[in-house]
Amino acid sequence: MLPLFVYGGMSVGKTSVILQIFRHLNRPFVYSSCRTCYSLRTLFECILNQLLLHQKDADNGYLSAKRCEKPSDFVNFLREALVKVVKTLQGNPGKLGTKKLTGQEHGHMIYLIFDNLELVRDWDKSSSILPFLFNLHEVLNMNEVGFLFISNTSPDAYYSNMGYLEPIPVYFSEYTEDDLRKIFMRNQTNQEMYSSFLSVVLGPFYRITRQVNELSLTFSSLYKTYCEASDDLNNVPNESSKRTRFSHFQPHIAPALNQIFKISSPLSEVNNLKEAKRKGGSMKFSGCDSSEHLDFHMSTSAKYLLLSAFLASRNPATLDASLFDSTGGTSSRKKRKRPSEKSIEQKEISEQELLMKGPGTFPLERLLAIFQCITSVAEISLEDEQGNVLMESQNEDSELMSDVLLQLSSLCNANFVVKGGSCPLEGSTRYRSTVSEDMALKVARSIKFPLSKYMYRR
Amino acid sequence: MAPSAAPVVESPLQSTVENIETNFQPFYVLHKASSRKNSRKSNLCGKSRKRTKLSPTGPNGIENPDAEERDGSQLEHLRMEALELVWSKMETTIKDVLRDTNVKVFDDICRWVFESFAAIRSYGTPSSSSATRPFPTFTRAEYKILFTGLVLTKNMEVVDDLLTFEELGFHLKSHGCHVASLSSQELSAKSSIGGCIRSLLRQLLKVTVDAADMFILASWYREQGYYENPVVVIVEDIERCCGPVLSDFIIMLSEWVVKIPIILIMGVATTIDAPANVLRSNALQQLCPCKFVLGSPAERMEAVVEAVLLRHCCMFSIGHKVAVFLRKYFLNQDGTLTSFIRAMKIACVQHFTTEPLSFMLARLLLEEENMGFQDGNDASFLEVLSKHASDLLSDSRYPLAEGTGNNLGNILSELKRWRKSWSVVVLCLYQVGKFSKVQLLDLLCEALDPQLLKPITSENSSRLQQEKGTSFSSSYELQYQFSSRKDGYIYQVIRKVRDLPAELLHQLLMSWEKITHCVPEIHENVKDLLLAFKLGNGKSSGKDIADLSRRHASRNGLFVKSSKPMMEKAESFLNSLVSEHMRPVECIPFHELICFKDVRKLQLALIGDPRRRIQVDLLEFQKIVKCTCCSENRNSLLPCAHDSTIMYRLAQEHGDLINLHDWFQSFKRVVSHPQAKGNHRTKQCPTPKKRKDKPSVESKSDASIQARFCTAVSELQITGLLRMPSKRRPDYVQRVAFGL
Repeated sequence: MLPLFVYGGMSVGKTSVILQIFRHLNRPFVYSSCRTCYSLRTLFECILNQLLLHQKDADNGYLSAKRCEKPSDFVNFLREALVKVVKTLQGNPGKLGTKKLTGQEHGHMIYLIFDNLELVRDWDKSSSILPFLFNLHEVLNMNEVGFLFISNTSPDAYYSNMGYLEPIPVYFSEYTEDDLRKIFMRNQTNQEMYSSFLSVVLGPFYRITRQVNELSLTFSSLYKTYCEASDDLNNVPNESSKRTRFSHFQPHIAPALNQIFKISSPLSEVNNLKEAKRKGGSMKFSGCDSSEHLDFHMSTSAKYLLLSAFLASRNPATLDASLFDSTGGTSSRKKRKRPSEKSIEQKEISEQELLMKGPGTFPLERLLAIFQCITSVAEISLEDEQGNVLMESQNEDSELMSDVLLQLSSLCNANFVVKGGSCPLEGSTRYRSTVSEDMALKVARSIKFPLSKYMYRR
Repeated sequence: MAPSAAPVVESPLQSTVENIETNFQPFYVLHKASSRKNSRKSNLCGKSRKRTKLSPTGPNGIENPDAEERDGSQLEHLRMEALELVWSKMETTIKDVLRDTNVKVFDDICRWVFESFAAIRSYGTPSSSSATRPFPTFTRAEYKILFTGLVLTKNMEVVDDLLTFEELGFHLKSHGCHVASLSSQELSAKSSIGGCIRSLLRQLLKVTVDAADMFILASWYREQGYYENPVVVIVEDIERCCGPVLSDFIIMLSEWVVKIPIILIMGVATTIDAPANVLRSNALQQLCPCKFVLGSPAERMEAVVEAVLLRHCCMFSIGHKVAVFLRKYFLNQDGTLTSFIRAMKIACVQHFTTEPLSFMLARLLLEEENMGFQDGNDASFLEVLSKHASDLLSDSRYPLAEGTGNNLGNILSELKRWRKSWSVVVLCLYQVGKFSKVQLLDLLCEALDPQLLKPITSENSSRLQQEKGTSFSSSYELQYQFSSRKDGYIYQVIRKVRDLPAELLHQLLMSWEKITHCVPEIHENVKDLLLAFKLGNGKSSGKDIADLSRRHASRNGLFVKSSKPMMEKAESFLNSLVSEHMRPVECIPFHELICFKDVRKLQLALIGDPRRRIQVDLLEFQKIVKCTCCSENRNSLLPCAHDSTIMYRLAQEHGDLINLHDWFQSFKRVVSHPQAKGNHRTKQCPTPKKRKDKPSVESKSDASIQARFCTAVSELQITGLLRMPSKRRPDYVQRVAFGL
């Protein structure tokens, strides 16, 4: 029998259908998911352990039944184990203890199921593992063994003319809106209420995702708010109450569409949060709480460094001279440049390119140069504005500069600056800032730095 | 000249080698420190013996150099003991403070963990036999979510929080959870999921397994008492983790969460959307996050500063400049508590090593601890201490000594009294400052500023007053008063009192009463104020203070009227408090005993500025390598100098690009011809030089010079002063560091 290749999108019921079939038919099978078995060795040993009815526990020092790393060893062990199992199946059907291999009335087949096969492609040597797995049934050449592969991706992603017979593909199609409605209507206590809820919600969400697990997570939380919107949960919905409920409920839909995960706070803080919610409308993720100021601590020099990285990534390197002219030539230079620039079209094209490329990379030297410029400017302005700077500020510059590289590495650790790999001694590493403009503006505001003055726009 | 030059060349070569061995500063210092520690320890046990040996030398005031030397080493031991005493006390204080700040959050987290565990349990636990089954149990999607605590550490640097998470782990363990923590190294792309699971198993099961997988964890969990306790996995720093690995790990855990109730705790250093930036969306979906916020570093810093510098009884204090430096360092450089604590430790060590009388701090501490009664051992110890101290006091180091006489007891009690009243004043100010969000460090910096202690300007001109102040230095305190800066924080704080609503004022007075407990004269004043406040309220409405705020809301106008004079009273009290009792430490006689002022040393120890140091050492090597030849003629380069020194000196002559060939040629010239460079005398008598030098020049073959050259270049590269030739310009190196 040729192996089956079951494929289809996420969460369309591939695994559950197959497992239910096996349970229903009461056939023996060996299930192994390539997610839990994250490497070839664990996969092999997992299969062998199940075949040999071996359980890892404290008594056997959490060891596998067989140590097996190479595919060739695996084939030998597998054949051995399968022969034994098949013999017992043929010999005394219905006497095996465990549930997996329970009694056989219909034939003496045993099935090997490989779930999440798409993950194998990311393993080392995946190019040799995949053909090996697909070819396993021919290598074993045992009629009593069936193979099932379950995957998210279509068979085209695997076949590579490696000389094995293609398995029989079975496609699980995505659910339609009606299917989803039927699925969600199952096991609901208040059928009418839920159906009215679904009629509101399913339409917009269906356009975004059809995965049952995603939908059921969002729906379960939305349904709670939907029920809260009405006065009484068991209230029989008539047309008018439906309408009022809808009007109450509608504002919750749009944010839920974009939200991936919602962060709650422990009970002691819930009250504060509720107030915040009331003020800021819906508590959307990355929404209102991060609006005004920076909510974590960063040293001043790290802030300046972050800003200079942001500027270095944002501005084209050719404009550095004009932007950071210490003699204050910023404005005059800009005025002079604007008319003498090439045609507007060309500029627009280059601007588009800049946008598409995202933040640019820059060498360390450029970063340090910009850093020095903006810190010196900031210090001058600081002295002008505030008379009460307590300390003598002649050596402040050097102090801000003193361990810039340390600050840079901690910025890299915090994922604000990304480093391209190269020899650290060489110094030719290029960096890229990943900070969003909002964040940069927030940082600039916290140190009263006129960021917009230095940003190059069209 | 030349014949004499040759032997000079030979001998320094040896002497430099020797000098490098003995005089190489950093290593030497490290070595010395460790040996000192040993001797200190040995001294601790032999304390009493040495004391008795020393006591006869103490009283002979006559300076005999030999005895003095012995005295010095003895005093050093005393100082070291004092340092140990003081620092251990400070350290425990800091630890206690930090633990206290975290306790509340930890309790919250613990409660949440058990709540989520109960939630997982309420979904229905699968039978224990099915727990180790390889295929998934089918439940609703809601049951597959992972409860995740996001702990916001509020600091970009993670150094402080490593300890916090460790303590969180202990806290949870003590409540019965199984705790394992994963560092960012274990969640890196290199170790991948296998590494994570292996580390989990290692921490939970205490076994190392080759092929680690979740089945092992499941069967272990079943053995541990199935579904009795949750498993908590702590990921310290989510930003540093490799996103894909962490996502895979989360998805895998979520598949197992029905079988093993795993609860994640993740540390987030920056913003709350960090997980969304790091993780994939299908992993994010599996999380049910809950947010916890740790105290911000500034808050923790305040708590530590308050405990160590204000409330702590060990008397050690820092000067104005040091305080300013620390504040600046914290804000500008490195906002971690770890570095602050390190700075305090360095300050302590510096103080006790440099200040001869610093061991008196130990006496103060001891006195404080066993208040009246002293056993014989301590008493004799104190006696020895005071004898030494009175010897040292007559030293010229303390200019005010003659005026007050040598009575040490007076000096110390005076210092103690000052310390108490000063810290009370600062704490009072800080209580007000809390309302207007004035930072304690800012207040402290201003309170320590000696320039703010100005002579009283009465009908006399200030100049006259100043003369008086210097002439009668003994009655100095009476003539000066602390005047806060007009735009300073103290002035702000005092102004703030005026605008406080009555309920806050009441709170404030209560807190003042608590603070001032140890200084009777201030305490009396506060009590008076409180009494006046109560009376004032009693007239206006009832006697109950507890429902003040309600009344305040109901009878607004009346209340404001009645409480207005109270505010003014409080303000004037605060004003008088500041002007009378605020004495910056540097204006107190004998403050040298307890105060560390040398900001330069602290700066050097803390920041270091290694690159500059390297350059200076390379250019002025003769200060380190104390050979005669080089220190005599500084400007010329001698071949006996270290290769990298010669190279760096030569490099100074180039621009930012150095031609390797030229560089090598000049290096070769310097190395092989001792005084060829910049010395014309060699030209005058070439023959004897050639004859003398010939064998040595020949022995140094071209190859060996080239090898030395290469070594020196790579040394300079490693120290970060050079960049190696690029592909575009293969025969040029680039200078990276310019100037000092």
